[in-house]
Amino acid sequence: MSDTESRSSSLLTWLIDPLRPTADSAPDAFTFTGDRRSWLVPVALGLALLAISALGWLVDPSRFYVSYLIGWTFCLTISIGALFFLFFNHLTKAGWSIVVNRINESLLWGFPMLAVLFIPVLFGMDDLYKWTNPELYIEGGPKYDVLIAGKAPYLNTPFWGIRMGLYFVIWSVLSYRLYTLSVTQDVTGDPEIMSKLRSTSAWGLPLTAITVAFASYDIIMSTDAHWYSTIFGIYLFAGAMLALLATMVIIGTSLQRSGMLTDTITPEHYHDLGKYLFGFTVFWAYIAFSQYLLIWYAGIPEVTIFYRHRLEHAWEWHSAMLILFHFAVPFLLLLPQITKRIPVVLGILAVWLFGMHWFDLHWNVMPNLFTDGGFHWVDFTTWLGLLGLFMGAAIYRLSRHALVPHRHPYLQESMHFENV
Amino acid sequence: MDNRTEHSEGPNGHDNFHERPRLVKGGLTFNDITELVSYHAERKTPKAWFAAFAVASSGAVLLLAMLAYQVYNGVGVWGNNQPVAWGWPIVNFVFWVGIGHAGTLISAILFLFRQQWRTSINRAAEAMTIFAVICALIFPTFHVGRVWAIYWTLPIPNQMEMWPQFKSPLLWDVFAVSSYFLVSLIFWYVGMVPDLATFRDRAKGFFRKRILGFLSLGWTGANRHWRNYEKAYLLLAGLATPLVLSVHSVVSFDFAVSILPGWHTTIFPPYFVAGAIFSGFAMVVTLLVITRKIYSLENLITIDHLEKMNVIILVTGTIVGFAYITEFFMAWYSGLEYEQYAFLNRAFGPYAWAYWIMMTCNLVTPQLFWFKKLRRSIPVMFTLSIFVNIGMWFERFVITITSLHRDFLPSSWGYYTPTMVDVLTFVGTFGLFFTLFLLFLRFIPIVAMAEVKTALPESDPHHYEGDGQVASTRGRDVPYIKPSQGYQSYRGGSQSTPLSDDDENSSAA
Repeated sequence: MSDTESRSSSLLTWLIDPLRPTADSAPDAFTFTGDRRSWLVPVALGLALLAISALGWLVDPSRFYVSYLIGWTFCLTISIGALFFLFFNHLTKAGWSIVVNRINESLLWGFPMLAVLFIPVLFGMDDLYKWTNPELYIEGGPKYDVLIAGKAPYLNTPFWGIRMGLYFVIWSVLSYRLYTLSVTQDVTGDPEIMSKLRSTSAWGLPLTAITVAFASYDIIMSTDAHWYSTIFGIYLFAGAMLALLATMVIIGTSLQRSGMLTDTITPEHYHDLGKYLFGFTVFWAYIAFSQYLLIWYAGIPEVTIFYRHRLEHAWEWHSAMLILFHFAVPFLLLLPQITKRIPVVLGILAVWLFGMHWFDLHWNVMPNLFTDGGFHWVDFTTWLGLLGLFMGAAIYRLSRHALVPHRHPYLQESMHFENV
Repeated sequence: MDNRTEHSEGPNGHDNFHERPRLVKGGLTFNDITELVSYHAERKTPKAWFAAFAVASSGAVLLLAMLAYQVYNGVGVWGNNQPVAWGWPIVNFVFWVGIGHAGTLISAILFLFRQQWRTSINRAAEAMTIFAVICALIFPTFHVGRVWAIYWTLPIPNQMEMWPQFKSPLLWDVFAVSSYFLVSLIFWYVGMVPDLATFRDRAKGFFRKRILGFLSLGWTGANRHWRNYEKAYLLLAGLATPLVLSVHSVVSFDFAVSILPGWHTTIFPPYFVAGAIFSGFAMVVTLLVITRKIYSLENLITIDHLEKMNVIILVTGTIVGFAYITEFFMAWYSGLEYEQYAFLNRAFGPYAWAYWIMMTCNLVTPQLFWFKKLRRSIPVMFTLSIFVNIGMWFERFVITITSLHRDFLPSSWGYYTPTMVDVLTFVGTFGLFFTLFLLFLRFIPIVAMAEVKTALPESDPHHYEGDGQVASTRGRDVPYIKPSQGYQSYRGGSQSTPLSDDDENSSAA
């Protein structure tokens, strides 16, 4: 299968799935048996919710933009997490994860669509990023801000746009390689593809780590241009992994409840995904707490302001919720084996963490721009609207290819995997 | 890792890409492994060991002398001064704690990740952890001005009704490092019980039998024993993992909670942990390259094991490099002149030489491991592992000294020069470390025999295809160190037939 004939025809399909459908070559056990509704319904719901959000834009544009950015970042973190997950698994030659890797690959190709969905943010730049205000840079002017003016070489709209473009090009190229190589293997069965995936992961991992860190500064941290924290990129990475793993569990359990992959994904795989979820719950808490402790302890005004915003005007409730429901509760519930091995229970926990990750992003961005804590309905409609489009596209991709990379050399090992 | 896949060894003992490599080379059987590991603890002590021990224990004595001298005369015998009140002792403390982290990573974290290649190296790595933590604990104990009052750091009810300050990360260090030491010790010992029982069963002498019988806690290898043992081991691994991450995070808090430019940065906890694993693995490679050669363990600690360790060194080294970039960028981005100056001063100030040594050793040289040829070359990895440890020592030096010697007030800028006592104390800790490590090599099973055996394909219940015959005898044709050569006519050097790894050369040891 050469590259030209495997490519999708029109630009729109390319954005959603760059490959011609290959599901015909898949064994029955690994084909998607759902009909169009499985992806049309989420897309339709997403579009409807985004249409409602447009009303929100009419009412309160600045709130809409921030909510939209949070929802968009949420979808972005899922795809970023998918990149990392595949890197780790290819590099360590993991055997257990083969049966869930395709679910992961379907979430991977979100970047081109997210790049298009980023356009509304560009209209709201002035609302989101205060550093775009030219008056801040006029020396001696009434609004002159010496700190922000010092960051001008980095925080200026053209360079910021170039950076964002660069991130998306890098992520899309990596996703394209990981996704298409794996799907090509379904058709050709070439075992050498494994080493290609591995070498892509080898140079992709450091590159993605750097770009994700700088993207976290550009997208989230610069909503408060005074504040900075070196750990922030890792914070976003921890959340991204959590979002991805939760999404994988949700899609996996949904597929199985719809009668697909019934004997392929076993409690053993859920157990491992659950361990991953538990591990990243703890890792997220470790990073989040380290950031808080160090800033609280030293109390340097420039940095402490971030937590001042989040400990007053009803945001303190959000902060408490975050500790309790993003860490303590999932920690205790994911600790015993039994919760990780029952798909339904793990699915519920995954939905929970999925929501908490959005809550975390909301907590990170919103207080920088809105002093009073609380939610606005547009926060939810934009988030769920974008999520509908994102998930619909992912399920559409799943429906076009085998649900499992069924000619992968480790497939048998993965099917018979047991947690010793 | 799982052994169900059929193996075929290509040339140079290297497998085809998508097949799981055999962890134990040379077709060793269960008995061969027992013989190979037990041999060294059971034979007469070779002269070379005594020679090495004499050198190492002289170093340990030197350490004791230096500590006695320092306690008698006061900490002023070190080079510490007013702006730089934390000098080499703290640098060495963080260095040794960092060395210790690889052992726990290999034994606990890789166990949780079901990485069977850890089995051959975990015993030595854990031993290294414990000895490194002992060396580390010396420094916070002795760098106080009044070592005899060090027990005040413990929350003991006393006639003064005084308690330690629980907000100080130095107190957290006391708890973190001491519990780290205890848990590592328990973990190490629990893992050793089945092997000690093997030694006990082979013991000839009256006292050897009694002592090993006492230490192996009546282990008989019963099914019930094993079930409880596996559970305990898993629980300990699960507990040790957050512990190991938190210990070095706490060590990083010593710096990061302060307000000093160059110290106060939020990335320190994960960055220190990555650096610790980086330096610890380098130390493991340094020691194991020599150990496997001298003790002819090349079939157990294979070039594949070393390669995997080098990959981890590369990954963690790159993470450390990422942290350097982040720190530098944020120092500029913060817009705070103190922060910006701190980093410029590191790169171009009076300690620029230390900074560039650190950068070269940590950021540049490990990147050579991108090349498979270099990853699998013994001399290259040995040299690089030494470089990494030099680099990581200088990293702590740079963080500690350069941030202290020039901070907010130019009137209190200074320069720090270590004295002879500083240097000899540090040299002495190496003496102590190697003294303990040599004792370990002499008396304790160097490789976890019971665990390595589970990594053999023969231990897989599906291995014998029902007719009692070994399903696959491939790999047996690879020449290996025959018991007859290795155990009976051992003369201090390795007389083994060379391995099939043609990229191994003997210049390492």
